[in-house]
Amino acid sequence: MTRRLTQGNEAVFRGAIAAGANYYAGYPISPSTEILNIASGWAAEHPELRFLQAEDEIASANAVIGASLAGAKAFTATSGPGFTLMQEAIGYAQKVGVPSVFVDVQRVGPSTGMATMPAQGDIGQVKWGSAGDYTPIAFYPNSVEEAFRLTIDAFNAAEESRSPVILLSDTFIAHLNEVVDLDELVASIEVVPRAIPALGDFTDAPRFFAGVLMYEHGPMAGEPATADADEYLRQFYAAKHRHLEVAARYARYEHGWNVEADVLLICFGIVSRVAAPLRDEFALFRPIRIHPVLGDELREVCARYREVVVVEANDGQYADMVELAIHRQVKRVPLLGGRISLEAVREGVDRVLGGGPSEPPIPETPHERGPRATLGVG
Amino acid sequence: MPEQAMAEMTYKDRLKVDLFPTIWCPGCGIGTIMMQLAMTLDELGLDERNTIIVTGIGCTGRMGGYLKHEAVYTLHGRTLPVAEAIKTVRPEMNVIVVAGDGDTASIGGNHLVHSIRRNAPVTVLCNNNEIYGLTGGQTGPTTPTGTKTLSSPAGNPNTPINLQAIVRSSPHALYAKTTVYHQIHMRNAIREAIEWPGFSFVDITSQCIENNGRRIGFDSANDMLTFFRKTYKRAPKDADHLAPFEIGIVYPADHPSRNGHVSAPAATAAPDTQVEPAGSIPSRTDPEPKAAPPTDDEKARRRAESVARAALMAKLPADMKLRVARREISLEDAMREAGVDPE
Ligand SMILES: Cc1ncc(C[n+]2csc(CCOP(=O)(O)OP(=O)(O)O)c2C)c(N)n1
Ligand code: SF4
Ligand SMILES: [Mg+2]
Repeated sequence: MTRRLTQGNEAVFRGAIAAGANYYAGYPISPSTEILNIASGWAAEHPELRFLQAEDEIASANAVIGASLAGAKAFTATSGPGFTLMQEAIGYAQKVGVPSVFVDVQRVGPSTGMATMPAQGDIGQVKWGSAGDYTPIAFYPNSVEEAFRLTIDAFNAAEESRSPVILLSDTFIAHLNEVVDLDELVASIEVVPRAIPALGDFTDAPRFFAGVLMYEHGPMAGEPATADADEYLRQFYAAKHRHLEVAARYARYEHGWNVEADVLLICFGIVSRVAAPLRDEFALFRPIRIHPVLGDELREVCARYREVVVVEANDGQYADMVELAIHRQVKRVPLLGGRISLEAVREGVDRVLGGGPSEPPIPETPHERGPRATLGVG
Repeated sequence: MPEQAMAEMTYKDRLKVDLFPTIWCPGCGIGTIMMQLAMTLDELGLDERNTIIVTGIGCTGRMGGYLKHEAVYTLHGRTLPVAEAIKTVRPEMNVIVVAGDGDTASIGGNHLVHSIRRNAPVTVLCNNNEIYGLTGGQTGPTTPTGTKTLSSPAGNPNTPINLQAIVRSSPHALYAKTTVYHQIHMRNAIREAIEWPGFSFVDITSQCIENNGRRIGFDSANDMLTFFRKTYKRAPKDADHLAPFEIGIVYPADHPSRNGHVSAPAATAAPDTQVEPAGSIPSRTDPEPKAAPPTDDEKARRRAESVARAALMAKLPADMKLRVARREISLEDAMREAGVDPE
């Protein structure tokens, strides 16, 4: 037993190793950088982990794809701007069916935004960031231990669904230090083996991994299917059904706090921790599998409450998805600009429950200089 | 049948001939490159168990679908990160990238620079048709100054990118320039590149007759080939730099000994590419044309040898495999050092 103070980012890395990861590619960006640093140190001592500090996130994402096709369990970690650069590759991995894990440690955007401040602004990007239709699976922990467990789930679900699975995190979860015993957890986990034969180890005929639509079976196998809607339907729904089936096995959420209360707070990641002191007053629904949205679970739980308030560190991205799922209006508390505090949650929840707008009062521009922000690490 | 003619035929085993004719326009240069690649793979005894093809987007990228190899048809411009990672995970594989000029040097330009910096042990065959073929004929990074294209109707105002300078920014990378007309030279270049332990790049001038050639005044693909024949000349022996319109293979100064994946047997290896002493030796251009092509028996022997070699390499720890692939250590020494039993 080794109970040890462990950082969220470190737990993600250790989870990846526990799940059998043996390839990491990345490019430094706060607040994910520790994962890259730890990976490089680990690789120096454990050569079975191959490590690449890539020239950019486009390269990281494509290297993860190459490594996975070559037989490795591969992953990368980044933050919003890097995640944006990875989107084309994520779409490719969705199309081709490349098991892989992408960690997105969210910070305030858009663009370079507020590099060291926490946010949850990539909920939509995970779902819709790449071109076309696809069915991503994504998890979001709210503790160091859960970061470890969900990273393993992400690797397992990636193999089962043969798709890029996203692990969301945020500045706070990434840098949270909690005492955990990861060694003890390792003993109880199950690791799913590789889903597809590595390049060169094909069973029937050599394969062609293509981002363009190709006939995979039948008399046209090997020819482009780039003008055939029937073939598109066959391949699209095969992937969608596979992903939904796997996602159903990971329908993780938490329904708790004061379940007898008449107002339900929906929050996830760090916000669910920050709001926890309100436990006597409200019930909590915390989606852990963020995508696909937990439709049945949300409908069932939300029906039991007079009001549903979605508190999230973005301008209503998950709230939109909840409304679509439960066919009912929710109240929204956006925590923007990195201001994720109990006071901000309290103030916002009181405001919207009192009939006020979800938009917070906008402070005036100050007339005098205040303290300068530190440079931070971008 | 004479031995030589028989030997020439077996390269078709590398191709999915059942999918022919290809989608390329009649007279396109890509087919010639594919044929020379297939012949080289065949000659070297490389097959679908030990050689992975990675292609980019563009007319050129379609080649992965016609080679009887495991192939990854990547996103536009992303061949190199994919290829480099494949090689890192499976150093016992040969990884060959085939991509167009736009894919390699424009959208993929940053990856090119950095794979070269890292001396990624992969081979790039760049189908340099000086145009964006697939999208209908827009200016590309290697389009000559003044050429009229769909996107530069008044003539390309810019200087084309200098691929030789980029590749040779690394002291470890091999650069070869050849054309679709000079087929034997092309095959030599491809072979030398595949056998090169570090990054290697074959810049192949070729013709896009439909979306470039005709618009700039050529009547046929044959006209373009004649132009290549007349304008491109072999670089002088021992040149360490290729002038414009010179073809040749430029080896880096630190040309290491050839204890490679498939060691070229003495009978076919060119005299000036044999084992070199360690240390700094001058750069040189390409070897003389080869002697007679290997017989089928010889190819079968090489194939068995390369398969056996890959199987032995697979037993090594990951980091050692990569050192063997980079020829920093011989396979035999690596097995000994790692304490791996060859049986
Ligand atoms: C991200 C992206 N941008 C643009 C395209 C469209 N596109 C397809 S091929 C191509 C250019 C191909 O030129 P080149 O690489 O020289 O290949 P060629 O067709 O000449 O063989 C472009 C711009 C694309 N597929 N993806
Ligand atoms: S458009 Fe040009 S490059 Fe493409 S197949 Fe036709 S001739 Fe070849
Ligand atoms: Mg081109």
